Amino acid sequence: MTELAAGAPHEAHTAKPPPRGWRRLTAPGWLRVPWTTALAFGIGAGLMVLVRWAEGWHPIWKGSVLTTIELTAAPIGFLVGIGAFDYWGRYAIGSPTQPEDHSGHGARSWRDYFRVNTDHKVIGVQYVVTTIFFFVAAGLLAMFMRAELARPGMQFFDNQTYNGLFSVHAALMIFLFVIPAFAGLANFVIPLMIGAPDMAFPRLNALSYWLLPIAGTMMLSSFLVPGGAFASGWTGYAPLASTHQPLGSVFFNMGVQWAGASSIMTALNFLVTIITMRAPGMTFWRMPLLVWANFTTSLLVVIATPFIAGSQFFVMFDRVLHTHFFDPTQHGYVLGYQHIFWFYSHPAVYIMMLPGFGIASEVISVMARKPIFGYRLMALSLMAILVLGFSVWAHHMFVSGMAPWLRVPMMVTSVVIAVPTGIKVFSWLATIWEGRIHFTTPMLFALGFVSMFVIGGLSGIYLAAVPIDIHVSDTYFVVAHIHYVLFGGSLFTIFAGIYYWFPKMTGRMYSERLGKLHFWMTFIGFNLTFFPMHWLGIQGMPRRVADYAPRFAGLNLFISIASFALGASTVVFLYNMLVSWVRGKPAPANPWRALTLEWQVSSPPPIFNFDEIPQVVGNPYEYGVPGARHAIFNGDRTTELEEARAP
Amino acid sequence: MRRGVVVRLVVVGIAASAVALCVALFIPWLPTPASREADRIDFVFWFVSGISIAIFGLVAAVILIAVVRFRARPDDDSDGPPIHGHTGLEIVWTAVPAVLVTAISVVSAVALAQNDSLPRKHLTVDVLAQQFYWSFSYPKYHNLTSNVLRLPVNEAVQLRITARKNDVIHSFWVPQFRQKQDAVPGLVRTIVITPDRTGTWAVICTELCGLGHALMRARVVVMKKAAFAAWVGATPKQTGGGKAVFVNNGCSSCHTFKPAGASATIGPDLDKLPAEARKAGQPLEQFVRESIVHPNAYIEPHYPPNLMPQTFGSLPKSQLDALVRFLIGKGK
Repeated sequence: MTELAAGAPHEAHTAKPPPRGWRRLTAPGWLRVPWTTALAFGIGAGLMVLVRWAEGWHPIWKGSVLTTIELTAAPIGFLVGIGAFDYWGRYAIGSPTQPEDHSGHGARSWRDYFRVNTDHKVIGVQYVVTTIFFFVAAGLLAMFMRAELARPGMQFFDNQTYNGLFSVHAALMIFLFVIPAFAGLANFVIPLMIGAPDMAFPRLNALSYWLLPIAGTMMLSSFLVPGGAFASGWTGYAPLASTHQPLGSVFFNMGVQWAGASSIMTALNFLVTIITMRAPGMTFWRMPLLVWANFTTSLLVVIATPFIAGSQFFVMFDRVLHTHFFDPTQHGYVLGYQHIFWFYSHPAVYIMMLPGFGIASEVISVMARKPIFGYRLMALSLMAILVLGFSVWAHHMFVSGMAPWLRVPMMVTSVVIAVPTGIKVFSWLATIWEGRIHFTTPMLFALGFVSMFVIGGLSGIYLAAVPIDIHVSDTYFVVAHIHYVLFGGSLFTIFAGIYYWFPKMTGRMYSERLGKLHFWMTFIGFNLTFFPMHWLGIQGMPRRVADYAPRFAGLNLFISIASFALGASTVVFLYNMLVSWVRGKPAPANPWRALTLEWQVSSPPPIFNFDEIPQVVGNPYEYGVPGARHAIFNGDRTTELEEARAP
Repeated sequence: MRRGVVVRLVVVGIAASAVALCVALFIPWLPTPASREADRIDFVFWFVSGISIAIFGLVAAVILIAVVRFRARPDDDSDGPPIHGHTGLEIVWTAVPAVLVTAISVVSAVALAQNDSLPRKHLTVDVLAQQFYWSFSYPKYHNLTSNVLRLPVNEAVQLRITARKNDVIHSFWVPQFRQKQDAVPGLVRTIVITPDRTGTWAVICTELCGLGHALMRARVVVMKKAAFAAWVGATPKQTGGGKAVFVNNGCSSCHTFKPAGASATIGPDLDKLPAEARKAGQPLEQFVRESIVHPNAYIEPHYPPNLMPQTFGSLPKSQLDALVRFLIGKGK
């Protein structure tokens, strides 16, 4: 890339001068946030007082009701203040909209990451950094749990706090880390990969990001509410969650709504972007597998997420409006909650895994210097998982007391998912076979993912087989399984993706030595922590307990020590990321010699990604094919610019 | 050269499978089975394990060989051979797993059907799960109720598991029996257990049910048939004594109360009831009764609301009266 291409044509769109004086309080930003939030808070409180007064309910001022309302009202005030609605607001009230001056594009200093920014690359970085913050927070909660579990009996926490720890740990890891971390990586990479200047709806993209800190803060702050955090597990089964929980439970119900809304908006954005904004020549069969993976994931999100939103609304209504959706004393349907919840939460497992499959495909093909083996079958197996994923939810309910006849069909559909998943694993193995494997950090994590995911997949077969599931469901075997799938699977691919695109995102190289240290500490710590849990579960240790039988003491102490080592590996990761971002070696445009489009532009990419429109002429993984090209830059734009510059 | 690779693959694959097999065989994975249902479930477990070990061995072998053999030198900028796929291979690795999972499904479905079948001659036990306590009653023996599940050996037992409508979901599990079933408020669900070994094990609640979840345990005792008959005959008819009500309703799983020999610490110490009543400013008897029927009316400092189940208001009046008398020290 020449200097000319790196953003020069857009200098006309430099940011407006910053507002001065009192105008700083009305301009979008952190100075507007306090008063708009307070205003929205006041409106919420006023509404409550008005309704309670009009209905004659006493007391008129009630803390628990106010809290519930403010979980909706205050975040809206925050979003208005930060400026997520400015453009639409003007449009809606008919005042002249500000034509897009692109001042919201690109990041010129670290401050730009704390503003509403419509650039998908900035949003991608915002996503990744925010989700890593919640990953660290949720990881610390896990460390607290392991400290409590190091010995039988109660040491550090009471039962309410402990139940809150594992509930918030899981909720944050799922809704504020794995799902949005993948969305963040895809946000940065997908427009680049398909040759688009940005996402289809950049303002919606910015809004989806700003919902995340709201959801995360809500879930974390539930520890501060009287009565403690929500403590019914991330699954929040009714009636425990609907009628037997402290106020913190509402923070989970509403946190899920905000995170879910963010997910849905991002997914719609990805779908429209992928369908309509591919570069000329980029047919579906020429899309990189990461794009395929996010395409299927987005379909899953759009179809499934409304179900968890519904389930959490119903639970909240049972609590605050005294409805009886899941209240058996009033003919509510207890198992209905589980059906609705898992109709989202099983597809959610694939929402948390398919983007990782995409990342693994990118990394493995590039680092093994070979085309992806069976590209079309790889894409089709993603679609197969998408379809089958909706037909297996009740395998979480084999012991729930649902209709017994449902069990065998759900078992069959569940094990059948092993077939497309197997195709993917075997194809990755065939891709590295006879390759020229470069063991960079992303490749180590990708191969670590393949091997760990095989173990997680096989323990999944045990859980799908009804008789075995009856024995091990709700035990530590399940805890081991989900961590092999979500940690060994999703987290390893997230790490692979972060290392792989770090040069592109930051324009700097990370330290390979520290990266490898991080991998080996994670890989070993992970296995020592989670493998023994299989045994604990089969032997009789149920999940979600702060206290356990003394005969499990030795192994639990071992697991706790291993988990602290695993936690320590995160310090290496954070150190590497921070130091490399500030002081790393400048990254070349294409350090991995990859063919996909994001590597054909500078690192970091120009503000509008492509100063020339790429013409896609071939497949994205043609390593080793003599003379093969994925895309050519036709040079139209360059000529145009040179003409403009000519004296 | 190609042949050499295949041989190596087989050798490493067998070695990796052997390691996995050792992990499977030399670690006692499954608790000693104590029911016929457990034997069938264990068969499915080992059937799936055999397949899993083979697949794990194959994958491990491919990764290990690839990592060693196809490692690129740092200065090697060449690409691998441009192989895009192999239809035959792709058909094999679609078909073989399909056959394997079909086999697993069939074996599982057969074991499940066998485990669900109930012989005509069987004993029925009603299992009531409540926060945080189990009780078992025997309809055949005039609803004899016990907080220990006693079963005769070698006789099929149908457990009818339920929870009260105003309670939450619990789950009944005895690892040695392998069987598990959620206790859903308002629904009755059954499982079959045929104990084939005498012994004493733990009944474990496996569905998160609130603050006392980790301590919601009971004992199951499998006895020789004669011993079981003797136990049934010897157990006195349920008395209405307050202490019996206290023990049978699980009060002792959360509270300390010396007259009942209870020493749990989830809920407040009931030996200090008079002091609490003074703090709440109520006469002792009224305070005790209200605390049982409406636990949230007055909550002792440092305890959260909703800790105490709100299900005890449904106790028969005679039992409730007896319980209150027992707690204020005026009855047994």
